[in-house]
Amino acid sequence: METQNIKEMTSRERVLAALAREPVDRTPACNPTSVATVELMDLVDAPFPDANRDPELMARLAATSYTELGFDSIMPVFSIIQESSALGCNIQWEQKDNWPTVRMNEPIWKDIEDIKIPKNYLTHQDTKCVLDAIKILKKEYGDEVAIIGKTMGPWSLGYHCFGVEPFLLMSLDDPEKTKLALDRMKEASVQFGIAQIEAGADALTLPDHATGDLVSGDYYKRFLRDLHIELAERIPIPLIMHICGRTVDRMDYIAQTGFAAFHYDSKNHPDESMEVMNERISLVGNINNPETLFARGPDRVREEVYKNLDVGVQLVGPECAIPLQTSIENLKEIPYALCDWHKEHTATN
Amino acid sequence: MGEIVDIGRRIELVPIDLHCQDITIGLYCQEVDEGLGFLVHTYSHLPVAQERISFVIHAMCVLGGMVLAPNGLIHFPCWHEHQMACKRVFLEACKLASNTIVEAKPLNILDKKTGLNIKVFSDKNGVYQVSAEGVGKDKEKRVAFIAGGLIKLGQMVEVKNTLDKIAYPCGDTHDEMLGLLLIRAPNVRAVFREQDMAASRGVLAAPSQQK
Repeated sequence: METQNIKEMTSRERVLAALAREPVDRTPACNPTSVATVELMDLVDAPFPDANRDPELMARLAATSYTELGFDSIMPVFSIIQESSALGCNIQWEQKDNWPTVRMNEPIWKDIEDIKIPKNYLTHQDTKCVLDAIKILKKEYGDEVAIIGKTMGPWSLGYHCFGVEPFLLMSLDDPEKTKLALDRMKEASVQFGIAQIEAGADALTLPDHATGDLVSGDYYKRFLRDLHIELAERIPIPLIMHICGRTVDRMDYIAQTGFAAFHYDSKNHPDESMEVMNERISLVGNINNPETLFARGPDRVREEVYKNLDVGVQLVGPECAIPLQTSIENLKEIPYALCDWHKEHTATN
Repeated sequence: MGEIVDIGRRIELVPIDLHCQDITIGLYCQEVDEGLGFLVHTYSHLPVAQERISFVIHAMCVLGGMVLAPNGLIHFPCWHEHQMACKRVFLEACKLASNTIVEAKPLNILDKKTGLNIKVFSDKNGVYQVSAEGVGKDKEKRVAFIAGGLIKLGQMVEVKNTLDKIAYPCGDTHDEMLGLLLIRAPNVRAVFREQDMAASRGVLAAPSQQK
C-alpha cells in the first residue's frame, strides 16, 4: 500500500481513497457494520432498541465510532432489519443488550407474486430513521469523516421475507423463479441505497448473506454475481459487499462485480484473500469478533490488525457487527495499532 | 470529543441493570502499587447511576469482604486478584436492589440435593475445611464435590492429599467471599451455564444462523 509522501488526510479522504485503492497517509480504521456497544449506548444515552428507530439516537450512537473509538468512519445502520421492517416483516425489537431480528418463522411472502415494495417504503419509520440519521451525521461530520450507509442485498431480503428454509428450497427447486424473485427484491436495495446517497452517505455497505455455511461459491456465481454487477452500476457510490463466513471460493466472482470493497470474515486469511482479490477490489476487515474483540484483550486485537496490515489490506476493522458487550478498550486498540504499525514502518523505511 | 479515559481492563459486565433503569455496569481491573484494585463503573449519565454504583461497591465490600480505598478502587485485603471470585461477587452484588440490607453470607448452607448441612471452617491460616452434618449417604463424596465447586468458582487450590481442604492461593482467609461462593458451589454447572448464556446475548448472527 502506498503511504509515502502523502499529506495528512481527513478520515473521510482516507476511507474514500482506500476504497478506490488510491494512496493514503495511513490505512483507515473502518467499520462497514456496527461498532455499537451497551457501554457506548450509556455514554450518549442512546440505547437499543430505540437507537434503531429514532434518528437522533441512531446518529448519536453511531458518531461514537469516530468521537470515542477513533475510527475513520461512522456507520449508523446497526441492524440488518430496517428494510425488512419497512417491507412488512414482523420484528422482534429486543432490549438494550440484544439485536432486533426478523421473525423469520412468520414469513410475509410465499411466492414471487407476493413481492411488493410498499409505497411508503422510504417513508416508513425504520427506513426514514436511517435516512434522517445520515442527514444529521452529514451535517455534523460530513467534511471530516466518512459516513457509511447500508442497504441489504436481495438474497438477505429473501431470507427475511420468505424465511431461510423456504427461500433456499426455492433456489433448489426452481432456480429461475428464484432469480425472478431476486430481481424483484433488488429494487428495494436500489431504492434504499439511492435514498441514502441523497441523504449524504459517502459509501454503502451491501450485505447479501450468501454465507459460506449455506451457499457455495458456484451458487454465488449462478444467482448473485450478475445481479451484484447490476447493483454496482445502478447505485453510484462506493459499495462495500459484506458476506459472513468462509468466502474465499467466491472472492474471485465478487472481485468481478465492480464493488469498491469486500468486507471479509476472519474465517478467511488476509494473505489468501489479498491474493485472490489481486488489487481488483479493496478488502476491509477482518478482526475476529467472538474470540478476539469480545473475549480476548488488546494484545490479540493488535496482532490481528498487524496481520492485515502486513499483507496490505486496504481498510481494517471488525469482521462484522460487533457483539454488544465488546469492551471499548479492545475497539480503541484497532486505530491505535494501525497508527503504531505505520509509525514502525515509516521509521524502518 | 472523546469522553472515554483509560480505566483499566474490563473483566465483567452487567449489560442491563434491572434495578437501575437498565444502565450497564462494568467491573474494571487496575494495577496499583499495592497490587490489584477494581473499579465499578458505568458510562451512564443518568442521575441515579452514581448512587447505584455506590450501592454495588458497598454490596461487594460486604459480600466479598472487599475494602474501598480512597481513590475509589475496591480491593481484597490481600491485594490479590482473585479474578473469578471477584467477578462472582460483582455479579451477585448487581442482582440486589439498592434498598437491600446487605449481609455477609454464613459459612454454612443446606445442601438441597442431599439435605446435608454443609459447613466450612477456617483454620485462620488460609486453609478451609468443608464438612457435612446430618443424615445422608455419600457424605464424603458430596463434601469433595462441593470443595471442588469452591475451587472452580474461587480459583482456590486443594490442600495436598485431602479431598475436603482447600485454600486461596494468596494464603489469606476470605470468609465473606467464601460464604458467597458456597451458595453456588453445589451447582457450579448452572453458574457456568448462566455465564455462557449471558455472553451469547448481543452477538449478531447472520440470517442463516438465526432461529
